[in-house]
Amino acid sequence: MLDIKNLGFRYRKADILKDIRFELDKGEIISIVGPNGVGKSTLLKCIARILKPGQGSVVIDGKDAAGMKSSDLVKCIGYVPQDFPSKFPLTVFEAILMGRRPYITWRPSDNDLKIVSDLIDLMELTDLAMQDFDCLSGGQKQKVLLARAFAQETDLLLLDEPTSNLDLKHQLEVMEIISDMSNKKNTGVIMSVHDLNLAARFSDKIVMLRKGKIFCAGKPEHVMTVQNIRSVYDVEVMINTDQIHPFIQPLRAVS
Amino acid sequence: MNTESSDIHKEYRNLTGKKTAFIILLFILLLFSAIIGISKGALSIGMFDSIKAIFKDSGTAHAIVWKLRLPRVIMAILVGGGLGFAGTVFQAVLKNPLASPYTLGIASGAGFGAVVAILFGSGIASEYLVPGFAFFFALTSSFFILGISGIKGPSSETMILAGIATMFLFSSLTSFFQYMGTMEQVHEVVFWFFGSLSRAGWKEIGLAGAMILLPFPFIMKMSWDFNLLSAGDEAAKALGVNVKRIKITSIILASLITSGVICFTGIIGFIGLVAPHICRMLIGSDHRFLLPASALTGAVVVLAADTLGRTLWAPQVIPIGIMTSFIGVPFFFYLLMKKTKEYW
Amino acid sequence: MKKLVILTSDALEIIRALNAAELVAGVNSGTEENPLFWPKLKDLPKVGRWNGPNYELIAGLNPDLVIGYAGRPGPEMEKKLSPFGITVLRLNFYKIKTLAKEVKILGSILKKEKEAKEFADWYQQKIELIQDRIRKIDKLPNVYIESYTDYHSTGPGSGADEMCAYAGGHNISSGFAIPYPEVTPEWVVAKNPDIIVKAASIGRCYQIPKPDKLKNIRTGIIKRPAWDNISAVRKGKVYVLANDIWTGPMAIVGISYMAKWFHPALFKDIDPVLIHKEYLKKFQKIKYSGVYVYP
Repeated sequence: MLDIKNLGFRYRKADILKDIRFELDKGEIISIVGPNGVGKSTLLKCIARILKPGQGSVVIDGKDAAGMKSSDLVKCIGYVPQDFPSKFPLTVFEAILMGRRPYITWRPSDNDLKIVSDLIDLMELTDLAMQDFDCLSGGQKQKVLLARAFAQETDLLLLDEPTSNLDLKHQLEVMEIISDMSNKKNTGVIMSVHDLNLAARFSDKIVMLRKGKIFCAGKPEHVMTVQNIRSVYDVEVMINTDQIHPFIQPLRAVS
Repeated sequence: MNTESSDIHKEYRNLTGKKTAFIILLFILLLFSAIIGISKGALSIGMFDSIKAIFKDSGTAHAIVWKLRLPRVIMAILVGGGLGFAGTVFQAVLKNPLASPYTLGIASGAGFGAVVAILFGSGIASEYLVPGFAFFFALTSSFFILGISGIKGPSSETMILAGIATMFLFSSLTSFFQYMGTMEQVHEVVFWFFGSLSRAGWKEIGLAGAMILLPFPFIMKMSWDFNLLSAGDEAAKALGVNVKRIKITSIILASLITSGVICFTGIIGFIGLVAPHICRMLIGSDHRFLLPASALTGAVVVLAADTLGRTLWAPQVIPIGIMTSFIGVPFFFYLLMKKTKEYW
Repeated sequence: MKKLVILTSDALEIIRALNAAELVAGVNSGTEENPLFWPKLKDLPKVGRWNGPNYELIAGLNPDLVIGYAGRPGPEMEKKLSPFGITVLRLNFYKIKTLAKEVKILGSILKKEKEAKEFADWYQQKIELIQDRIRKIDKLPNVYIESYTDYHSTGPGSGADEMCAYAGGHNISSGFAIPYPEVTPEWVVAKNPDIIVKAASIGRCYQIPKPDKLKNIRTGIIKRPAWDNISAVRKGKVYVLANDIWTGPMAIVGISYMAKWFHPALFKDIDPVLIHKEYLKKFQKIKYSGVYVYP
């Protein structure tokens, strides 16, 4: 469904990303992992065409994203940014309703409203529906942003660190919602993740970045090795394979 | 589960219904204020006589109401409506609830134009000399900002900084030229800065009206995009908003409105800041409703301020710019006291 | 005997009238804008503007006396110049009431008492002539005087208010509390003045040969919406007066014009142009030129 070929991005004469290539099938979940500043966010923004990649191409369902009109692109790709600025009062409902923008001309239809209501129920935010977005906790805000992306009803979702600021409960809740959505609607998901364990547990494939290039990619059990993690993160770890999912235990930093 | 979700659905429709009702209420309030405004004047023509005089064909009352009072009231509405509307746009695009139509240095540019016209144009007795120069330099300021944004990127922070720089540039030039003027010229400049609705005639209303009202439908069409801008430039882009184009177009249009207001009436402050604020506190940030509400609120405030300014200290007129400043001060104290959240 | 630096054109006029021009060592930059009026004095060294002179330049000319307005620049001028032994004299020559007195003060300082007396007497005579005739009138016409800014009238404390009284008119704005109040066009219609006088600031009139600018200003006033209801507009009694003869030593000319407009029959024999010519020939040693009023 999604084909990334030789993607590169430069910023002020420095190569932030180089030679990125991978594929995504419908219903697949891919996690992009790597240390801070390696280019995870940049990669997502390039795919979403928020940034224009200097080299390479992004092909969605056979069509080159570069040639697509933004109105069509918006119906293909749902992007959830890392942060959520809030300068103006907005209700939870209105925030999620924004995701329906590609389908609304002036007045939201009943269908639009229903989609938003259903998502609010799914995210268990029903009681907060008409509250100020800003009054929510970090975890609840993340759910709202996710709901907004879901409201776009796209085949592809790009999530920039969807669990970074969340407590344990919300981390798991959010990941499970993403997983379910991917299964149910066959949505392809690419997310940048900090927590290697979450990535290992919830992804079909992992792409590990190092210095702007793909270090290795593949199934979690193949990518998450002690050597790989040492090379990319400069951290010595122990991997516990007795559990249902491989569990990575950091031991110490390596110089 | 299903009954619950349809409740939210209804709640939303309910709320938007309330917002529409609010706008209608504002409109009625405006009409009421207009009637009061038309009935107040040096020649005591009572309220009902004033209204009747609108429809009569001749007579002094008719002449006074049609040639003097009605234009003044309409100009006040145009000015307040334009400033409220433009203020909302600037706050949305600059993502700063403290932005006003003057944040980009537009008022300073207009003031500079007026000073130049007053100092060097003495003798060109065209009534459009000062407005023309004020308009030109007001637009120059905003194009200057847009130019800088074109080079350094259209982030809201860049625009605000550029706006402050422009403001200081034109302010200092204005002061310099004022220093060079004769006492009479300096007098004239000072009075221009106070703002005045006395110069409003039907001709001016035609011109100002065109400049102020023509951009309205184009800006209204961008309401959803303004809503999305508050999610952040990147999120907005991801939702299909052409962020750069929206920002540039709306700033040009809002600057046109602001310049149209300033060039005929001088500098009338606080409305562009206060009207959107009040409305946002009451009906939230959905720009489909916020834009018209701010325009109506601005119109009511300016109309009320002018009527008060004409009657409180009659027969002296307290200049409209001073009246709106009086309104601004308690408003800001109120905001300071009431501020509980991170934003306003 | 004394070397002078003059900071204001009003004072310079008086100096020239007192035949003391040869004492002047430095003048204000404003003289450059009026070269025809100051054929010789314009070439003297310039010391800056009336409100912000350059104290170094002044000190460099080593004058005994500096003459400036009472209000500006502030007392820092005395502070800056007294170390050089320079005396500062604050004379306005601005208001009619105090003009004669100020001229005599300057005359005694410069030892030009004779010239000062001649000037004061001439001035006094002209004013008295008008005052005498006015005293006999019981009903004064209502006059709306507008200053340079549209819809800003002239109230108590403004020079225009004083001039109006001297010329025998009743200033409809004399009841205001401030010197330059903003009024609504409707208020003027309500007051229905008999005469309208507009002060125009059109530059140095001495250099201006044609009355076009003043004419345009007058037309603008007549065309104001609903103002055709005003008696003054209907009877064509709208006059424009340039700022050169509005205040300062030439205010007597302004007053003469106004007196004639307010009481045409009473002052049929007075010709303000002649008075102006006399002033310029006798006291300023230059020819009459320029346009100052319309119509």
